Amino acid sequence: MSQLTFETINTTVLDTLSRPGKAYWCIISLLFCGAIMGASCWAYQIFVGVGVAGMNTPVHWGTYLINFVFWVGIAHSGTLISAILFLFRANWRNPIARAAETMTVFAVCIAGLFPFIHLGRVWLVFYMLPIPNQRTLWPNFQSPLIFDVIAISTYLTVSSLFWYTGLLPDLAIIRDRSQGVRKKIFKVLSLGWSGRTGQWMNYSRAYLLFAGLATPLVISVHSVVSWDFALSVIPGWHTTIFAPYFVAGAIHSGLAMVLTLSIPLRKILKYEALITMDVLESIAKTIVFTGIIVGFSYATEVFIAWYSHNSIEMETFWWRAFGHYAPEYWIMVICNTVIPLLYLLKKIRTHVIPLFIISLFVNIGMWYERFVIIAGSVAHDFLPNAWGHYSPTWVEGGIMVGAFCLFFFLFLLFVKHLPSVSMTEMKEMIHKVE
Amino acid sequence: MNTDAIILTGLYNNQEETLAAVKKIQAKGFEVTEVHSPIPSNSLARALGRKKSKIGWFTLIGGIIGFFSGFSLAVFTSTRWDLIVSGKPILSWIPFFVIAFEFTILFAVLGNVLGIVTQVGLPDPDYEKNYDPECSGSMYGIEVASTTENADSLRDLLDHTGSIKKQRENK
Repeated sequence: MSQLTFETINTTVLDTLSRPGKAYWCIISLLFCGAIMGASCWAYQIFVGVGVAGMNTPVHWGTYLINFVFWVGIAHSGTLISAILFLFRANWRNPIARAAETMTVFAVCIAGLFPFIHLGRVWLVFYMLPIPNQRTLWPNFQSPLIFDVIAISTYLTVSSLFWYTGLLPDLAIIRDRSQGVRKKIFKVLSLGWSGRTGQWMNYSRAYLLFAGLATPLVISVHSVVSWDFALSVIPGWHTTIFAPYFVAGAIHSGLAMVLTLSIPLRKILKYEALITMDVLESIAKTIVFTGIIVGFSYATEVFIAWYSHNSIEMETFWWRAFGHYAPEYWIMVICNTVIPLLYLLKKIRTHVIPLFIISLFVNIGMWYERFVIIAGSVAHDFLPNAWGHYSPTWVEGGIMVGAFCLFFFLFLLFVKHLPSVSMTEMKEMIHKVE
Repeated sequence: MNTDAIILTGLYNNQEETLAAVKKIQAKGFEVTEVHSPIPSNSLARALGRKKSKIGWFTLIGGIIGFFSGFSLAVFTSTRWDLIVSGKPILSWIPFFVIAFEFTILFAVLGNVLGIVTQVGLPDPDYEKNYDPECSGSMYGIEVASTTENADSLRDLLDHTGSIKKQRENK
């Protein structure tokens, strides 16, 4: 880090914006085709009806809402890194903050698609919005589903504005080193930023306030998502631990996704001098911490079920561990709580390959966590005659794969067209170190 | 500043040199009108006598408006069709607080953005006036106002304080 100068930071980051090669466009095309495939599956569902998905009595919340919660969770880490760690003055966040914020914006967009897909008749989505109408019908603001609409829309707006505000000084750098059409585009995007003292002073204050506002927001949003479940009476959902449990899980999965994205990004874009092994190690240590919280939450859920002496709760948790979805449950437990403990070994957390592989396991584990909570609880609730199983169909699988392709497609477009490491924050960091 | 004043811009390599130069230039009686820098600096802002940012007020007012808007929206819509659902009271304050909280954050952020637009002065179509493009990357630029008679002595002073680039002149 000590050999970095303002100029080397500029050069390293701006070099990543050079004209991409054929391999890049091949991957982009492949991901685009994957996204189109997902969109086609959705179109098929719209034409034929939501019955083409595997959701049926008693499991009416399936893969779509599992993916919704998964992507909202992924989105949370961006704000953790950019806002919460900013407030704590954790300098290791600076090299990865931009990539994490971008991940947040794209992940919220993708998360926001899933309730639309789940809705079936997507053209009726405006019913969820408080629009004046002839019948004086309004959304029910007592419902956690409407909390969710408000919370996710707020989160998307706030995270997009936070991301763009953070980009402004970097956009000016690109503007000042470009020619022709590119210069014109960045002239508009940078809004005439010129780094005047007065601009910096107000900007820094605004950025701090953004971080201060985003911090309670990020906690509230996943709490609200958890209340979609916890405010019902379904065994396995109706518990007060859900809000902190979901927030911890969201940060756990988001940090794992940051590692999954940062490691190839660092190698391909030659960011080794900026995203150092110390940065990756710090993420790994935080994943150990969040993994322990998540593990503690799993244990507390089981304890609450046992201590309550509520036979239905006890049956639900027994069935989770040893019933039809036991493999999914144990994948969740092992991937989220046991495997991340390997990061306690310095040899593992200081090598990119094990770091990367473990981050993939956590991603998989967190997806299964949502599966176990959402599908597992309604599949086996109060009455044995109402029990049933759920398996996703190819339509749901296609949409899910399409969503992943869309996410990586957007992220790859971003890394070659906008600065994926914040030059300004890196300069501030080395200036403080000096 | 009188009408025959000119602005000279000197470029410096780092913050420490820039701060020292600002102090020397001010001590010689010239007016430092602006400093362009690649990163924020409290010491430069203090040296230029910048007042505390007022953006917090925009954010606070936005947040207050948001809180009452969220609450009012929930109360208004519930009383339009006062049908009891799941035995819950028509005016359920606790759920409405969630809506009010989200609106508080949303409007506070929108207030913050309004603050950026008004206080930071963005968008700024005239940003190129007296601005050297190197200031976004790694250099610090000091803009100094001078009368035409004193321009030569100011040039010497900028050279003396370590300005490394031929100064731009803007009337």
